[in-house]
Amino acid sequence: MVAMMHNPLRPTPPLRLVDAPPEPSSTAPEAIIRVENLSIVFDVPRGEVIAVDRVSLAVMPGEFVSLVGPSGCGKSTLLNAMAGLERPFEGEVIVAGKPMLAPRPDIGMVFQQPHLFPWKSVRRNIAHGPRALGKSKTEALRIADDLIEMIGLTKFASAYPHTLSGGMQQRVAIARALANQPRELLMDEPFGALDAQTRAVMQDNLLELRDRINATIVFVTHDIDEAILLSDRVLIMSAGPGRILRDLSVGLPRPRSSAILTDPAYLALKRDCLDLIRTEGRKAFEQMEAVT
Amino acid sequence: MSTGGHKGATAAGRLSVLVGALSVPAFVGLWELIARSRIVNAVLFPPPSTVAVAVLDWIQSGQFFGDLSASLFRVTVGFLIGTAGGIMLGVLTGRFRLVSSLLSPLFHILRPIPPIAFVPIVILWFGLSETGKLFLVVWGVFFTVWLATHIGVQKVDRGLVRAALMLGTPRRQMLSEIILLGALPYIVVGLRTAVSISFYTLVAAELAGAFAGIVYRIEIAQQNMQTGQVMGGLAALGLLSFVADRSFAAIAERAVWWR
Ligand SMILES: Nc1ncnc2c1ncn2[C@@H]1O[C@H](COP(=O)(O)OP(=O)(O)O)[C@@H](O)[C@H]1O
Ligand SMILES: [Mg+2]
Repeated sequence: MVAMMHNPLRPTPPLRLVDAPPEPSSTAPEAIIRVENLSIVFDVPRGEVIAVDRVSLAVMPGEFVSLVGPSGCGKSTLLNAMAGLERPFEGEVIVAGKPMLAPRPDIGMVFQQPHLFPWKSVRRNIAHGPRALGKSKTEALRIADDLIEMIGLTKFASAYPHTLSGGMQQRVAIARALANQPRELLMDEPFGALDAQTRAVMQDNLLELRDRINATIVFVTHDIDEAILLSDRVLIMSAGPGRILRDLSVGLPRPRSSAILTDPAYLALKRDCLDLIRTEGRKAFEQMEAVT
Repeated sequence: MSTGGHKGATAAGRLSVLVGALSVPAFVGLWELIARSRIVNAVLFPPPSTVAVAVLDWIQSGQFFGDLSASLFRVTVGFLIGTAGGIMLGVLTGRFRLVSSLLSPLFHILRPIPPIAFVPIVILWFGLSETGKLFLVVWGVFFTVWLATHIGVQKVDRGLVRAALMLGTPRRQMLSEIILLGALPYIVVGLRTAVSISFYTLVAAELAGAFAGIVYRIEIAQQNMQTGQVMGGLAALGLLSFVADRSFAAIAERAVWWR
């Protein structure tokens, strides 16, 4: 029985279904984020959990890439590894030519929860990063004020986080991450905790924002609509331990808005994704049946 | 009607304020009556009027302010030193596993020993000097503040720390801002307990032998059978710790300013 179990640490060829883009050759532009054969294992009381299983991926400069997968499949862990918050067990993550071993201020992160500093006003929360990097107080506050204007919270500049709604807090968290002018922005289900209406507004805001900030974005979500609407590429992950099943290019024109949700090309893409997820779900289920 | 009910509630509220205001005077009056009625021995149980005269004498003799400042000095300085040490080590043991392994077992063994039990050894070490008295107060305050800080630091939201890390927060600022302020709500609770502990230990310190101080004055009065002065001293001590506790509560309310 035990021998039948799939041991994810034993090498099996990476599972790639259709239309994975060719490995970038030397003439192709250099990937800004490169994940090579990455595995991440957690020690838990009952042994080990393989959260990420030999994942490889590359993100080109300026690209908007979404990671989609069921909860618990390792999306956050993979993103944390790109942020330097989680060390590789095997393989490596290279961002802008350097391996990620610890967080770096040229990489911004927005979490599912805003995690604003409760003792700081909106303005000072956003100014935190520039101050930490040694900018003068005046300069840091000027950066903060510009960003506050961009996220439309000028009236709330001196408010404390707990007085703001969830959507407003998340906008502050995004502005705070942007204050250090990161070249790469990592977002872990940033709209996952918001209601549907706020979420739709935030998605439109992010689309606008993206045109202005000129950063590479890796966006984690379990919402396929959200992923297709926002991204240039969607990476679909299998149920845990996470592996990348499929790498889909979203050829829809930009600028986009939620209007594309009825576009036939969009619907075809979504059907592809759903089929894949359903097949995968069934496979995972059968595997479990076989083991037990 | 709701207005009627509301008025009734206000009336009940007024009544309880009135009764509250009468509580202490009524108690003092009853005490005066009993003490004067000779049901009890007036030497051992002097009436409030005698106590008031004794307190007045105490103030007029000029000793009161000397005693007050001696006691206040011990409590305040001891509290500040104990608090500073407790917070610093609490941040270190709460944040760094190695420091915690080194110090926490020791602290957990020393902490439950009542500080008063250290009086004999403190007299051997420091004699009747101020250092010995400060030592006792510091000792009592330190462990309470250390434990509150240690626990507070471990409860700091991991998400805040990660967010701060992503923003490039330097190590120093991580401790002095994110960790310290994150733990502040817990620390403040520990500090309030430490205020009353500093008064307990003050009593022990002054009873062990002093040359001035409110508790010292109580002990001298007891040796001279001046029971009025003893009770006056107790009243002064009670008032002092009451004021300290209330002012601290007011400060604590504002310390966590973002709530
Ligand atoms: N710090 C941790 N310790 C132990 N197990 C963890 C830890 N973080 C994540 N995991 C486990 O790793 C797997 C992937 O988690 P995660 O990356 O959070 O998934 P997702 O973000 O896709 O929901 C889960 O089984 C989770 O229980
Ligand atoms: Mg997650």
